[in-house]
Amino acid sequence: MNYMPGTASLIQDIDKKHLVLLRDGRTLIGYLRSIDQFANLVLHQTVERIHVGKKYGDIPRGIFVVRGENVVLLGEIDLEKESDTPLQQVSIEEILEEQRVKQQAKQESEKLKVQALKERGLSVPRADTLDEY
Amino acid sequence: MFRYPSLEDCPLDEDEDAFQALGEEDEDIDQFNDDTFGAGAVDDDWQEAHERLAELEDKAGSGREPDGPVGNDGDVLGDPEDALAERLTRLVIDSELEDPAIMQAVHTREPPQQPGGLNSSIWDSSAVLRRIRGPLLAQEMPSVSVLDYALPQRPPQARDEERDPSERALPRRSSSPIIGSPPVRAVPIGTPPKQAAIPNFNQQILCPKPVHIRATMQQRYPAPYGERMSPNQLCNVPNSSLLGHPFPHSVSPVLTHLQRAQLLGGAQVKLLPAGRMSPSQFARVSGLVGSPLPSVNPKLLQGRVGQMMSPAGGFRAFFGAPPAPPPSQLPHPPGPGSHLQNLRSPQMFRPDTTHLHPQHRRLLHQRQQQNRNQHRSLNGSGGDRGGHRSSHQEQIRKDPYANLMLQREKDWVSKIQMMQLQSTDPYLDDYYYQNYFQKLEKLAAAEEVHGDGPKKERTKLITPQVAKLEHTYKPVQFEGSLGKLTVSSVNNPRKMIDAVVTSRSEDDETKEKQVRDKRRQTLVTIEKTYSLLLDVEDYERRYLLSLEGERPALMGERKQKICDIYDNLRGKAPGQDRLSDDHFMQIMCIRKGKRLVARILPFLAPEQAADVLMATARNLPFLIKKDAQDEVLPCLLRPFSHVLYHLPLGTVTSLVQQLTNLPQSAAAPTNLHLTAVLQNKFGLSLLYLVLSRGEELQSSDTNTELMQDNQWTELMLMATRELLRIPQGALAKPVSIPSNLISLFSRYVDQQKLNLLETKLHLVQGIR
Repeated sequence: MNYMPGTASLIQDIDKKHLVLLRDGRTLIGYLRSIDQFANLVLHQTVERIHVGKKYGDIPRGIFVVRGENVVLLGEIDLEKESDTPLQQVSIEEILEEQRVKQQAKQESEKLKVQALKERGLSVPRADTLDEY
Repeated sequence: MFRYPSLEDCPLDEDEDAFQALGEEDEDIDQFNDDTFGAGAVDDDWQEAHERLAELEDKAGSGREPDGPVGNDGDVLGDPEDALAERLTRLVIDSELEDPAIMQAVHTREPPQQPGGLNSSIWDSSAVLRRIRGPLLAQEMPSVSVLDYALPQRPPQARDEERDPSERALPRRSSSPIIGSPPVRAVPIGTPPKQAAIPNFNQQILCPKPVHIRATMQQRYPAPYGERMSPNQLCNVPNSSLLGHPFPHSVSPVLTHLQRAQLLGGAQVKLLPAGRMSPSQFARVSGLVGSPLPSVNPKLLQGRVGQMMSPAGGFRAFFGAPPAPPPSQLPHPPGPGSHLQNLRSPQMFRPDTTHLHPQHRRLLHQRQQQNRNQHRSLNGSGGDRGGHRSSHQEQIRKDPYANLMLQREKDWVSKIQMMQLQSTDPYLDDYYYQNYFQKLEKLAAAEEVHGDGPKKERTKLITPQVAKLEHTYKPVQFEGSLGKLTVSSVNNPRKMIDAVVTSRSEDDETKEKQVRDKRRQTLVTIEKTYSLLLDVEDYERRYLLSLEGERPALMGERKQKICDIYDNLRGKAPGQDRLSDDHFMQIMCIRKGKRLVARILPFLAPEQAADVLMATARNLPFLIKKDAQDEVLPCLLRPFSHVLYHLPLGTVTSLVQQLTNLPQSAAAPTNLHLTAVLQNKFGLSLLYLVLSRGEELQSSDTNTELMQDNQWTELMLMATRELLRIPQGALAKPVSIPSNLISLFSRYVDQQKLNLLETKLHLVQGIR
């Protein structure tokens, strides 16, 4: 097996279904249509998949052009095993709601943590100063 | 250069003349472009492109002439058409990066065969082009080029009404977040109104100056387009997947290349902000441009391409009166940005719909649910979709969007990636990868030898094999111009710092050295010797790479360098016969110096190496004392043993003599020298090595000179005596014990003493 240097190795993955993890944590699934030397990607029939616990939801996104620097992970999806998942698909609304609840819970716990630390005279770097969306 | 007989009065001709006059400078300009943007950056012949543009304009102008429709007067356009086709062919053949290495690497992969004769490789092979061109141009459609023929018979025009209703319904990204916001039709601030932008795309963007419009495609080819979709619509087709059409059935399964190209043309604009546009894409866009597309006005091309390829517009403006205002002066500068806005994918919407009115949200949700269901059922139900690998393959084959990225573009990406790996000296440019790879290969080889476990197929990086040629840079000079036009380029970046290596005269250095303390001087010597050593180590590689004829010279250089190293090591000043160990000892007192000596030894000539070994043996107690902290002396053992292997008995004898400081003067009660040696790990190991080598010579070579033999025997007797005298506790642990030591000692001592020695040595072995 030989491979091409750099993003040229992606050429053989073109027109296959891929999962792309972005820097901001989003997960996209779509057909890889085009690439360039910066690993800028063109995804076709893209869905954005949101996972919360054992549930997931897909939001159709159409064509997605991803700037290469935002790609964290890229992998082909095995269509044989695609449906073979213990996860349960739910509607978009539901998953968004779940996501919201989860984020809220996370915020709450963060707040509590900060509070507890403050009482002990400690401080933590605020999470929102970090690069999160 | 060709002329248009019927267009003599065309004002453009002046321009043509200007180009002719400047013909000889074209080469310079090409060179200039190459130097400034790098080879291949502007691979398209700007001049050619420009001529084609001008030509198109001519035709556009002639289309309005009363003589007759352009489509029919083949005799007028026949010639230029041929020339154009020829150029087009050349353009197609032209590969932007002509590097043989890259081409080789790239061409190892066969371009996938595509169905359809006409469609198969308009862009790939000129032969096909010619084949098609022949009959087409000769008979049925004298003035219509292949590209015309291959074009979908419908102008690129998207009707909003025809588009997917789902697009309209879905909220756009920039839609107002106010609850109960007006339906999505509301035009967001900052983006051009959609309604106006899309239908006018043709007029405003494709044809900024309506005066020059020829009869549109629609008028010229009134053929019904029935179910076929325009390229623009094709662009939008992906969006319709929302409605559940994975691939529209109305589209013929294989897009023609032109459709695809146009599709891409649209998509490229979207790509633009995400990265640089590739030259091949330029080439293709301009290729399209160059063809006499009836519905595409040259102005557009100038606008579109001119902005990307500034030389086209820029030089024109520079060389003569431009026939049309530069794109920037057009009423609607069709910059990439505006394209982007116009083509913005309409289905973009926010992930969170919480800002929407609850009812709206419900509606949206319902619709999406519906969409998904349809989507699923169309894809063979979400459950068992693509149950087999083969079906996946089939799916790919059925996929009308497959191969959207042309082979040419794929090649371009591989080429550009390959270019980065090109190097004349990979060892120098990419040292760590080279070493890592060597290690990997060694590992693989070892695994193969052992043959254990299943053979793992290792992936190998494909690298260009041919070294690139040196690019000599000559600044472009235009006659009569003042000063230099170019000072820097990609290949010759501007020199920011003018760092000059000033080498001071030897006198200064020696004077300074006298002032400095000795240690620093030694450090300098070590560093100098190290760089010499690295050079020498490189010679092996260079020797392998060099041509047959250069090798003797290389060998000579190498020899000289080794001599220099030796002189550095021994501190031999010119004209000084007697060597003192002082300098060498200074080096050997420094850790780096010791390691240096260990690395140098294999390169030295036997006598030089022996000399180093001797000096070490002579001063071993001192070195041992100095080495107490570093403990790096043992690293010298291996090179020393290699040196020993080549030494004759005489030298070995004197070595033992030096090492044991025998025969010592009777006055001294104890042999301090020997005690020190025996008490040190390195010292004892070295002694063992030397003794072992002596024994080897003795046993293998029976007819040695009597003198030497006697000397050796005498020495051995004394040494054995010393060994016996030394208390066992004073013996250090040697690194290794040569196996033939017992037989050695058995020659010189009686059985009882031999046993004693044996227990001593065995004990030592046991402890180890």
